[in-house]
Amino acid sequence: MSHLEVDRVSLAYRRPRSTERFFALADVSLHVDRGEFVTIVGPSGCGKSSLLMLIAALLRPTSGVIRLDGREVRAPGSDRAVVFQDFALLPWRTVLRNVELGLELKGVKAAERRAAARRYIAMVGLRDFERHFPHQLSGGMRQRVGIARALSVEPEVLLMDEPFGALDAQIRALMAVELLRIWERDRKTIVFVTHDIDEAVYLADRVVVMSASPGRIIETLDIALPRPRDLDIRNAPEFAAYRHRIWELLEEQVRTSLHWPTAAS
Amino acid sequence: MNRPLVGSISVVLFLAVWQVVGSTNLVRSDLISYPSEVAATLAKMAASGELGSNAVVSLKEFVAGFVPAVAAGIAAGVVLALVRRLRLFFDPLLIAIYQAPIIAFVPILVVWFGVGTQSKIVMVFLSAFFPVMINTMTGVAQVAEPWTRAVRAFGADAFEVVTKAILPGSLPAIMAGIRLGVGRAIVILIAGEMYVSIMGIGRLVQVYSSAARAAEIIVLVVVISAFGFACVSLLRWFEHRLGPWRSELEQ
Amino acid sequence: MPEPLLLGTAGLAAFVALWQVAADRGLINPTILASPSLIAAAFANQWSSGQLPADLGVSLGEFALGFAISVVVGVAVGVAMGLSRTIEYALDPFIWFLYSAPLIAIYPLIVVWMGFGFATVVTVAFLLTVVSIIVNTTAGVQSVDPTLIRAVRAFGGTTRDVVFKVILPASIPLILAGLRIGLGRALIGVVLGEMFGANAGLGFRMTVYAAHLRTADVFVPLVVFIAIGVASTQLVGLAERRLQAWKV
Repeated sequence: MSHLEVDRVSLAYRRPRSTERFFALADVSLHVDRGEFVTIVGPSGCGKSSLLMLIAALLRPTSGVIRLDGREVRAPGSDRAVVFQDFALLPWRTVLRNVELGLELKGVKAAERRAAARRYIAMVGLRDFERHFPHQLSGGMRQRVGIARALSVEPEVLLMDEPFGALDAQIRALMAVELLRIWERDRKTIVFVTHDIDEAVYLADRVVVMSASPGRIIETLDIALPRPRDLDIRNAPEFAAYRHRIWELLEEQVRTSLHWPTAAS
Repeated sequence: MNRPLVGSISVVLFLAVWQVVGSTNLVRSDLISYPSEVAATLAKMAASGELGSNAVVSLKEFVAGFVPAVAAGIAAGVVLALVRRLRLFFDPLLIAIYQAPIIAFVPILVVWFGVGTQSKIVMVFLSAFFPVMINTMTGVAQVAEPWTRAVRAFGADAFEVVTKAILPGSLPAIMAGIRLGVGRAIVILIAGEMYVSIMGIGRLVQVYSSAARAAEIIVLVVVISAFGFACVSLLRWFEHRLGPWRSELEQ
Repeated sequence: MPEPLLLGTAGLAAFVALWQVAADRGLINPTILASPSLIAAAFANQWSSGQLPADLGVSLGEFALGFAISVVVGVAVGVAMGLSRTIEYALDPFIWFLYSAPLIAIYPLIVVWMGFGFATVVTVAFLLTVVSIIVNTTAGVQSVDPTLIRAVRAFGGTTRDVVFKVILPASIPLILAGLRIGLGRALIGVVLGEMFGANAGLGFRMTVYAAHLRTADVFVPLVVFIAIGVASTQLVGLAERRLQAWKV
């Protein structure tokens, strides 16, 4: 049985003051095994973030079911932890208190909570910044706090919604390396959404390519690159092949969504 | 589920409940009155001229005090904003008077200026002057540096700088100060007239308060509120008219 | 000594000195306006006789109670209005009326209903203050960053968690601003109430002194009111600055 199962899920919105329905996601199915690192790429507006929100149960599917370990997902919970693109840290709390938030909401007692939070803060390399406030940190550091917060509740699945999207390109590459380093420790199941193809290939065991809206899964690529991976692997010919294939698929999708002429027309 | 609809329903419901509770004497109607009685009382007071003659007195006192307060407040605000040392010199005094409950000055002002209209005019002036001055000061201080430089670059002298750059630029702050002044001035005026006076809306309030006439008091509450609302609406309209000019200057 | 402090103190000192000199030279009519020295003497007198402390106690009590009740009710209603559009739309006309109508006129009704005394003054102070707290609290709640609320929900937070861990902390700056404005209004409410609807307290005492043309005594409660107004506003301003340390 797969760890996380998305079973023919659709998400539709009703336009205000009309009976017309607009589909963000159409009949999406996906299986993720325990310990797998899956990335999802697609053009803007293809619904990939919505898919993540559905798994997190912050949205409810119009049809279809999402299951974790065979059990249907109905409400948000600490078994699926989210890392957000805009970090979503509480500005009036220190780094320590921010990381404690997840455990606080789980009802963990103060002393235990504090110890756990400090452990994860050290894991992301921010031990000297426990008493700092978010506004005193750089973007990359803030996201590391977000990652620590998500890991601290020891989720079954880590859901990452374009987590490096707000960071500049050089930082993004280093954060990816950092993320893999942390992931190698206990190999959590991760679903990672991005629009950056290189990032998607570099991180993943499998890349899922989505179509333009309404979002469907066009193709899934198994990434057979060896681990552990350093940044040099991006220069390898196999990497380029994956990159090329994904770009081919996406170019067509992006052009369609922007009404630009495609290769086919 | 939109704002005007829910709001209107809420108000209508309130009026209906009030009407029923008051007119059936569920709660003593001499304590709370009810809408139809209030309306009738309003008509009666207007017809007898009682409302009109007192309103005129209060209005005169208000205008006589408010207009000079705005003029003086703006002038003082501009000067204090531009002359830093002067501002620092007067600061504690100004803060003390601004943050003090102006209404506490009423008894003293009556001792100094008597029980008639003169003391009320002074009260209105004092209560409106400080908000206008302080807001003007803040507004001008924010605007002074960058704008003065820009206008001066075009070769303007001091007076032109003030009229063409500073005043228009600090207009929002000045208007905010004037709006604040209106609220305070109305409160002080009515309070002063209630404390002691020969004529005026406040005096009517005091008279009917001693007689415990709820209906008349409510009529006066409505009249005073309407006046306050009219003033603020007038100011907003005025600011609106000057608005487009303001944003053009921002370029 | 920093320049602002120096100049400011000089200004205050000059004002008092000028006043005293003018009085000593007989330039001011003593039955209209007393000199600073006489006022100081009156202050000492009223204090040692116990009159001033008693009045001060009454006024402070009314101020504190009226303000405290306004804060509790104001924040609660403000949060409710901020969270629910329906509640906001329904209460809005009344809030707007209470905010813009000069409540000075409402107070006689309160006297009609409640008579003279402590409770009336507290009620007037409450009514005057609660509205500005509600308005600012509602604005504070409505300006909370929705992504923070989403984050808390994502980790399994209940509505209670959202209110206490996100909305309230995030609204504090605006709530404090509302409190600061409310302070001024509460004090006016106390003075107003005491002048017209009570028989104890600083405001009441002022009207008594004024009626007897005791020009030195009448200044004492006035100065005390000014001091209370300034002190409380500065205190809240201080709290505002400290609690916003996390804001850039």
